[in-house]
This record gives sequence, C-alpha cells and structure tokens, in this order.
Amino acid sequence: MQRINVDVVLGLVVLACALVAVVIWIPNDTGSGIVESVRGRYSIGDALAPTVAFAILGLAGAALLIESRRKKPTGQLSSRNLAFIGFMLLIYLAAILVMRWTGPALASIAAEGSYRELRDTLPWKYLGYVAGGTLMVSVMVSLVERQFTGKALLIGVLASLLMAMFYDLPFDDLLLPPNGDV
Amino acid sequence: MDYVLLGIQAVFNGPPMFSILGVGVPAALVMLFLGLLTGIAVGATPGLAGPMAMAVSLPILISIFGVRPEALLPVFGFLIGIMKGATVGGAVPAILFNTPGTPDAFMTTLDGYPMTRRGMPMRALKVAHISSVSGDTVSDIVLFVCAPFLAVLVERFLDLPEKTSLIILSLSFIAAVMGSSVGKGLISISLGMIAALVATGEEFHPRLTLGVDEISRGFPLVAAVLGVLILGEIFKSFEDLWRGPAVEVDTIEPEHRDKDGLMRGDIRRIAPHIARSSAIGTVIGALPGVGSTLAATLGYTFGASAHRRRKTSEQKDFGEGAPEGIAATEAANSAVSGANLIPVLSLGIPGNAAAVFLILAADSIGGFNPGPAVFNFTRPAVNPELVVAFGIFTLMAVGNFLNWTIGGVFMRSMGIMARVPIRYLLPVVLLVTMTAIYVQETSFVSLWIAFGFGILGYLFRRLDISVLPFVIAFILTGSLERTARQAFSASGGDPLFLFQSWTSITFLALAVVSVAVLGRRDGPGASKKARVEKS
Amino acid sequence: MHKILTSAVAAAMVISAPFAASAQDWTPPGPITMMIGFAAGGGADTQARLVASAIEDATGWTILPEQVPGNSGLNLAAALRDAPADGTAIGMVVTETLAYNAVREGNSDLQFDQFTMLATTAAFQLGLVAMAEGDFASWDDVEAAAAAGTPIRFGTATERQADMAYHMSQGSGIDFNIVQVAGGSEIMNGLRAGDLDIGWVAGAQAGPVQSGEMVNIATAIPTPLAESPDAPSITDLGSEFYLDGYFMFIAPGGLPDDARQALAQAISDALTTPETEANTLVNRAFGGPAILTGAELDGYMQSAVEAASNLMEAVN
Repeated sequence: MQRINVDVVLGLVVLACALVAVVIWIPNDTGSGIVESVRGRYSIGDALAPTVAFAILGLAGAALLIESRRKKPTGQLSSRNLAFIGFMLLIYLAAILVMRWTGPALASIAAEGSYRELRDTLPWKYLGYVAGGTLMVSVMVSLVERQFTGKALLIGVLASLLMAMFYDLPFDDLLLPPNGDV
Repeated sequence: MDYVLLGIQAVFNGPPMFSILGVGVPAALVMLFLGLLTGIAVGATPGLAGPMAMAVSLPILISIFGVRPEALLPVFGFLIGIMKGATVGGAVPAILFNTPGTPDAFMTTLDGYPMTRRGMPMRALKVAHISSVSGDTVSDIVLFVCAPFLAVLVERFLDLPEKTSLIILSLSFIAAVMGSSVGKGLISISLGMIAALVATGEEFHPRLTLGVDEISRGFPLVAAVLGVLILGEIFKSFEDLWRGPAVEVDTIEPEHRDKDGLMRGDIRRIAPHIARSSAIGTVIGALPGVGSTLAATLGYTFGASAHRRRKTSEQKDFGEGAPEGIAATEAANSAVSGANLIPVLSLGIPGNAAAVFLILAADSIGGFNPGPAVFNFTRPAVNPELVVAFGIFTLMAVGNFLNWTIGGVFMRSMGIMARVPIRYLLPVVLLVTMTAIYVQETSFVSLWIAFGFGILGYLFRRLDISVLPFVIAFILTGSLERTARQAFSASGGDPLFLFQSWTSITFLALAVVSVAVLGRRDGPGASKKARVEKS
Repeated sequence: MHKILTSAVAAAMVISAPFAASAQDWTPPGPITMMIGFAAGGGADTQARLVASAIEDATGWTILPEQVPGNSGLNLAAALRDAPADGTAIGMVVTETLAYNAVREGNSDLQFDQFTMLATTAAFQLGLVAMAEGDFASWDDVEAAAAAGTPIRFGTATERQADMAYHMSQGSGIDFNIVQVAGGSEIMNGLRAGDLDIGWVAGAQAGPVQSGEMVNIATAIPTPLAESPDAPSITDLGSEFYLDGYFMFIAPGGLPDDARQALAQAISDALTTPETEANTLVNRAFGGPAILTGAELDGYMQSAVEAASNLMEAVN
C-alpha cells in the first residue's frame, strides 16, 4: 500500500536531481571528462567524483522510495516551514543590507573622505555592524515575544556593541562586517 | 618514546601567557582551564552545546594566537577544554530542571530529576560528576594507547589504493549507522560530497559553479560547516520557539527530606555501572559517526537490566531516581569524547562535531594535519606534528585532572545558566556566528553561503536527515578524491587499482556489507527515537 | 682620492635621490590589504605575515593580511585584478603563478602584464628528492629500477612540476607514473610512507636532507643547493629547462610609480634588515632573501613566460 508521503516526494525529487546532474549539469560544467589522457597516461578527470557523488544521491533516492513502502515517514515539511524560511531570509537580507550600507551612506553625507578610507577608524567601523546586528536581534526577539519592546531593542544594541568590541578592541587584524567588502 | 616527554614539555614550557611570582604560566594550560570553564557553562545552558561554543571561539582564538605553529597547542587547549567541560556541564540542568543541557544528557533527566525532587540534587550532581570524569578518563587512556599504534599500522601497511578504500568504508559506515534510515544517510553523505566538489577540480575551469564567480573558490569550510551545524539548528529551534509557547523551566522547590551529598556506599554502588558504561562509550566512540546519544542510551539500557537483577529491595529502580542510572548514562556519554579522537588523529576521519572543529582548527592554523603521517616516529629530526599530538594528549590528561578537582565545584554552581531565556539567546548566537564567519572570511559572500547551508541544515532537520554525515563527507571528500587520483596515477592508470590488494578488497566489501546489513534493520537512530518516545 | 670618493657619493646621491624622495613621500591612502595565495600556517604564509608586520613596524602603515589560496595563485590574481590600483591592495604569489599558470589557463585578464610586479622575496631551492635509505637514492638507482621494470612514482605539486617530470621522462627515456599531490610537505610525507618514490620539493627538504633522512638526487635550479652542493643538475639528466622561481609580491596593473617604488622598498627593507623576524625566517628556511625589483623583475618575468611557453610546447 503505497501512499504519497514526504519520504516518497523526497525520494523522487532527489532521484530527478541526480539524473539531471549526471546527464546535463556535470558534462557541461567540468573542465575535464571522467578519465583524461595527460602526459601520455590516463588520469582521473574532474567529472568522475561529481558523477559518483550524484550516482550515490540517485541511489539514496531509490533507497528512500523502497524504505517508504514499509516505514512511516519520520520527518515532515509544510508550507508553513517554507514561509518561515522566507521570513528568515528577509530578516537576514535586511540585516546584511543595513550592515553594508549604513557606514558608506552616512560617510557620503557627513564625512570628507570615502568610507573605504574611514573603515579602520572609530566610530565608522562599528556603524554598519551595530545597526545591522541590532536590527536582526531585536526583530527576532520581537517575533517570539509577539510584540516590539524596548527590551528587545536594548538586547540588540548591547549584543552587537559587545560583539563589536569583543572582536575589534583586542585584535588589530580583524575586520568586522562590512569592512572587508568596501 | 622521547616524543611523550617532548609533548609534555611543549605544553608546560610553551610560550607563557603571564607569570605568577616569576613563574611563567604556559598559554596552553591557561587556555585549557578557560576552555573547561566555558565548556561547563555552555553545557549547562540548554540550547547551547559544545560545538557551538567551539565554532564561535575558533576565529577569536586564531586572531589571538595567529596562524603559527606555536598557536596550535593553546587553541587545541581551549577547544579540548570546551569539549571536556560540556560533557560534564550537560548534566546540570538535566538534574536540576529536567531539561537536558546537551542532547546526550537526556537519559540523565530520567533519574537525576527525581533525585532532585526527593531533595538530593547535590548527591545527583556529584554522582554525575564522578561518572562523567571517570568515563572520560578511561576513554582518553584508550586513545593514548590506540591512536599511535593504529596510525603506525596504517602508514606501514596501507598504500594509496588501500587508503582510498578505507575512506570509502568510513563514509559508507557513517551513512549506514547515522540517522533514521540508510536512504537518508546516503542523501546526507552524497550532498556533502557534492558541496565539497564545487570548484575544487584540478582544471582551471571551476567545476559545478554554474558560472557563478562568487563561489569559484569553492565553499569555505567554516561557512559551510557552521551554516549546516549552527545556523540550521538556530533556525529550527527558533521556529519551534516561535510556533509554540516555550516550556517553562520547572522550578518546584524540592521537599527537603533526605540528607544531601554523596552517601556512604555510593561509590561502590555506581562503580560497576561506570565501568560498564565507560567500556560501551569507548567502543561506540571509536567508530566514526556513532554519537554519544547512542552510547548514553546503550549504557542506560544495559545498566537498567543489570540493576534490575542485582538491586536490593530498598534501592530505587532506574527511572525513579537511582544514582546508578545517572552513573550509567554520564559515564557512557563522556567516554565517547576521548575515543572519538582515535579516528581523527590516526586516520584523519572525524567522528563527531567536536572532532570536526579540531580539524577545522588544524586546517585554519596549519602545521598540523591530522592523519597517519602525524605518528611518524622514524624521522631522524624531531617530527613537530608528533610533538603536537603528544601535546594534545598531555592537554587531555591535564584537562581530566582539572575536571576531577575543580570541575565538580564549578559544575555545581552552574544551575543559574539554565535560567537564561533561550529566546534572547538564539538571535544573539546567530549574530555571533555570523560575525565569527565574517571575521575569518572577510566577505559577505561567505555569510550568504553560510545562510544557504543553514537552510539546508534546517531542511535536513525538518526531514529527519542527520546533518553530521553531510559535514563529515564535506570534510573527507577532498582527501578521497585526491587519494583516488594519486592511487590511479601511481598505478600508471590501472582502472582496477582499487582491486589489486586483498586489504583494499576487504575494505570495499565491508563498505557494501555495512550499507546492506546495517540498513536492513532500523538503524540505531530509529530505535533510539522509538525508545525515547516510549519513556 | 678623496675627491673621487666625494663625487662618487654625490653621483650616487643624485641617482638615488628621486627614488628616495618619491618613495619616502608616498604613503598609502588607507590600510593595505595583503592577500596571501597560500594555505594558512605554511612557510610561505608565515613569510608573508612576517613581512607585513615588519613593514608595519618600520613605516607605521596598517596592513591587513587575508588568505586567498587555491588554483595555484590564480584565485588571488583574479581577486587582486579587481582591487583598486592605489597601493592599498597587494598580494603574495610565486612567479610561477603568472609566468606559467596564467599562460596555461589563457585568460588574458590574468597575464603578468595586467599586474604590477613589486618585489621578489626568496628563491625556490628546488631539488629532486628521495629517501636516503630507499631504492631510489641516486639517479643511477632510478635508472637501474626503471631498467628492471619497476614502476617509479614521481610526486609533483604543480602543473609546471608535472610538465617538468614528463619532460624529464621524455629526455631520459624513463617512464614515470606522475602523481600530483597538494604540496612539497605532502610529497615528503608520501616518500616517508612509501606512497611515492621520488618528487620535487622547493626548499622544505633542506632539514631532512641535512639530517640524513632524505637526499637531493638532482638540483632543479641554476645554482647549487646549499645542503647538497654536489647533486647533479637536471639539465645533465635530460632536461632542457630549470624549475626555478621566486616568491613575489604583486599589485594591480597601473600602480603609480611612486607607490610601486615605496612598496618595493618597504618589502625589501623588511627582508634585509637583520633584526626582523622576516629576515630570520627567510635565512633559516628559504636560503636567504633574493630580491628583484623594478625593471630587473619585469625582465625576469618576461623570460620566465617565454620559458614556460617553451616547456609547454616541449611536452605537447
């Protein structure tokens, strides 16, 4: 009695991915074939290991399909889970954008030099990090508490400021986000 | 055997951190001590675990000590301290609040919490401490003896093709024993291999990158491993927290009836359980991929049946607050940690998350490549890697000593950590992990890579696919492909190069057998789950 | 006599004056990112980091080291190409990265004329290495084993080294099984474990050779190896080329001259000032500083590119 459950779907998806990869992706995106003739000898090419890995993936899909006939699925994945991940993505994206651009934006308004020249000086080097970090932490805390409180904001500011100082003050060579990208 | 002395010297005569009364205190020992305290605190905090603390502290350690060979022992000291501390600390909230601080302390709640309710929290904590540290010590001694021996055997008798087969065997075994089913174990392994193969080919064309420039250097180890292990876990716990109301920490005041603290005869009562569970934990630990949770379950189950046969009528049953139950669990899960380093140090194959971080540290600092080549005793000049290996052993021994002496005191004061609300902790840990990755890789690309792997880790957890095979495959695939290439070239291009020696054929046959046989029955993961649900 | 000396000094001052003046005037317009094209913790990485700290001590500039390993230095070249050409981004590679790998890869953006060469730091001490107690401890042993039909496993760490191994095989008529491994220390581990028989090592063999564990059965550079001055040259054993090369700092193309001179001077000072850690390390592990700068370095790179093309032609 075969039913459509999460393991069957997973098995099919995995099997399909493996097939597409072995037939289309790997031949078109590797620099050499499965076996190459180099310097008068055969040697293993760049395509062999990926082909083996995807073959195992296909095998895994098949094994899962067989197993799902006699076992109940142990995991589950609903559209609510996917929505949650979408939400996390938004928070993460917002935090990174704020980290990246707060410093340069303020520098273009308020400072003489470019942000790149200021990236190793106070307070510039903390601006983006603390703003982005605060945003992420306080939004996440507020989500769980289902209300936005001053306490959540305070935890965000404190956590990111402490982290910034923790990494930056004792160590000269460490770069906080975004200072390695500007 | 001069290397044993050299290793000890390397720890004690290493660069001093500061000096007391004119005597320099070696950095490695200071870091070990700090790591131990951190580990106990982290283990005692529900929602945090040893690997998370190791992940976050690694970039900090590297920036303190730099990437020079002298940095190896202090950094390993701290990581080993965390590893040892966390196994001890995990029992604290399990006993006091019925909340396991680390997953493998679940079985400890079964007897620890009833003892607290009967007014004997100190007795329970002391039993947990003694058992945990004894198990760890036994396991370490086995490691010290076995790892060099095994490595020398491997290096002497295994040529390139046999080494290739050995890695294939390890991966098959891990796929077969970890997680809820063989199919899912293989999915985890193969995806880990695929991720490791991106942009790592020999040709200049960066393979499997779909033309994306940002990943043409491959996925950074730190971003991928922390993404799957830490971000995935954070996302899952955070969603659980968001959807349902958090379980309130149970703080019922125990009725003070009995006298607290260790009672006469306790040691004698728990000793056989410690011995049995230490042996179980050590054996389980030596097999890559079989975790401490299984060891704890087995230790508890065997302990329970032995206890039922032997106990006197006034002694409690397992599950009702028997000190023997705590001893059986804690000795087993702690005995895993030492033996788990046997495959890492002798073969370069990591068996659990803590071992993964030791490899990550060695990889970031350089100058020490865990694997059989470390234990080369025959070089006429001093082999620096071997000195480091014995330095690690020394640190572990000192760590046990510290755990015996001050660990217990510190552990018993850690009850407070269980009260830190996890809803504040998770977002902060996310920020800390992101920062740790950025500081090491200095690019936002690595943060997005970590996020991508975090989603993968989240999906794995939702679909009940074990993440550790993924991580282990990610780490081992590079050496698997390299060794296979070298073995093939060294054979002059023989397509049957893996089948030219009996050793190699045996390894491959065992690989097939492990998948076929261990996959037939419900894997240990599944049976553990069933048992946990029953209890 | 006195007069001649004075005028010589004066002439020297005139010649060096523009160099000194412009080099001293230039300061970087911000912290310098130093990309390192080698794995963390190895000898080359340590060398780069010590040079960085020596420059910081001597000039007061800020240098931020960063690892950009992989793809034989071409990953670094690709990253450096996109960085600003104002002296705030430099990178450490080997001459082989631009003089061989870039030529082989063929991407016109990564050729050596797209970059500014700053200074070399140390030369490869390249030898063909085997275990002293093994069956391949001299070239005669290698030839005898080949004649007896024993397959010989030849460890190489780069494409150029593999080409050179094949070239040796063509020149000597010995059929090697060429095995590519990750680096010189891996080759030495392979020799110890019996996984390899002979292999190229670019300097790390000095210690094991001095202690009698290994031997240089041939030298692959034009000058004799310090630890085995009597080893035969590979050019006497069937090769038309050497496997020479340097560790080298580079910057993006179009770097202004004053910045180029100041950076080259700073690197050179860091390596030659006796009390720096960089100097100690290079003397201990890399056969002493070997510094080429300016036109001399450009000339070396030009000829190295030609030699690489010739080698590639010879083996194909």
